[in-house]
Amino acid sequence: MEVYDLVIIGAGPAGMTAGVFAIRKGLKTVIVSEDIGGQVNWTNDIENYMGFGEIDGQSLVRKFEEQVKEHRVMVKLTAVRSLKKEGELFFIRTESEETITGKTAIICSGKRPKTLNVPGEEEFRNKGVSYCSTCDGPLFRGVPVAVVGGGNSAVKSALDLAHYASEIHLFSLLPNLTADAILVERLQREGKIKTYLGHTVVEIKGGQAVEKVTVERVDTKERFEVPVQGVFVEIGLIPNTDFVDDTVERNELQEIMVDCLCRTNIPGLFAAGDVSSVPEKQIIIAAGEGAKAAIQAWEYLLKRSDASAQ
Amino acid sequence: MSDVTVYTTPTCPWCTRLKNYLKEKGVDFNEVDVSTDYDSAMKMVELTGQRSVPVLTKGDQYVVGFNPDQIDRILQ
Repeated sequence: MEVYDLVIIGAGPAGMTAGVFAIRKGLKTVIVSEDIGGQVNWTNDIENYMGFGEIDGQSLVRKFEEQVKEHRVMVKLTAVRSLKKEGELFFIRTESEETITGKTAIICSGKRPKTLNVPGEEEFRNKGVSYCSTCDGPLFRGVPVAVVGGGNSAVKSALDLAHYASEIHLFSLLPNLTADAILVERLQREGKIKTYLGHTVVEIKGGQAVEKVTVERVDTKERFEVPVQGVFVEIGLIPNTDFVDDTVERNELQEIMVDCLCRTNIPGLFAAGDVSSVPEKQIIIAAGEGAKAAIQAWEYLLKRSDASAQ
Repeated sequence: MSDVTVYTTPTCPWCTRLKNYLKEKGVDFNEVDVSTDYDSAMKMVELTGQRSVPVLTKGDQYVVGFNPDQIDRILQ
């Protein structure tokens, strides 16, 4: 059985940085991930990653990836189904039916868009329901669409869709938009966008594809239908922790609880980046946390080998 | 001409990833930009029943989204 010193789950900024640091510490390391770059792929303009001035998400991912390749970190592109600790070893089961074994593991699996959890959402996923206006927006040329959410992502999404859709209905659960003032100003100037504050989508209906949404006014519970062919859900993110069981402690946001050394409650298991409870979700913070977690994994192995030598 | 077609939009990060993935594997493919080619967009929607990119097709098989496992299975 091949045993790695360190198995890193996820290849976003945290995972790729952890990989580079681990290799430099001489650890036999593998990164297992569904994709490369994670949420950074979805980010257009990054203006606060030091050393780059302004860079788009994909270019930054490419630079990370080049560095990972230069350090010859092994990367397996497959989703992780489960992670279990038995004895002193971690067993990571993948979608490609492989079991990867490691002495330590770092979870850097990031976050994914939160779903609405209303009838019709799953049925019409990709059949009008989308979580990426940047990707799918052009497919809604000339038709009415709904955007659900009131933060930066939702407002950016509505503004983006104004290039294509005939009309945009923006539904915000809260009585005010929480997006940055500059975005709200742009929204107010855009004639195609109708904003409904204190409203939420309670059902998505259609035949082969989305045809309308049922909307509820939060205070009066009054319901009405709006004909749309697309529903863009932009209500925030949830951590990708489905593959870990209840033995790994999480907070109320379902983020994996870590201390300031990126340690979880399970010895030898670390977490870094957006999936962890570390405050502030930023690329530069995720990268830093990834580095810290890799160094901590190395120290953990060092202490363990010292202990077994005595 | 390749029998692999990739339907994309210019602003879609996953489309770029998919194209890079195919290039790395040395797979030839045709690209259709559905943001400018409305007829092809509708053909894609009809084939997959879905309004989402990227889509990779080979013959009558298709994969919606960037899913390396599924893509590898189709390309075999």
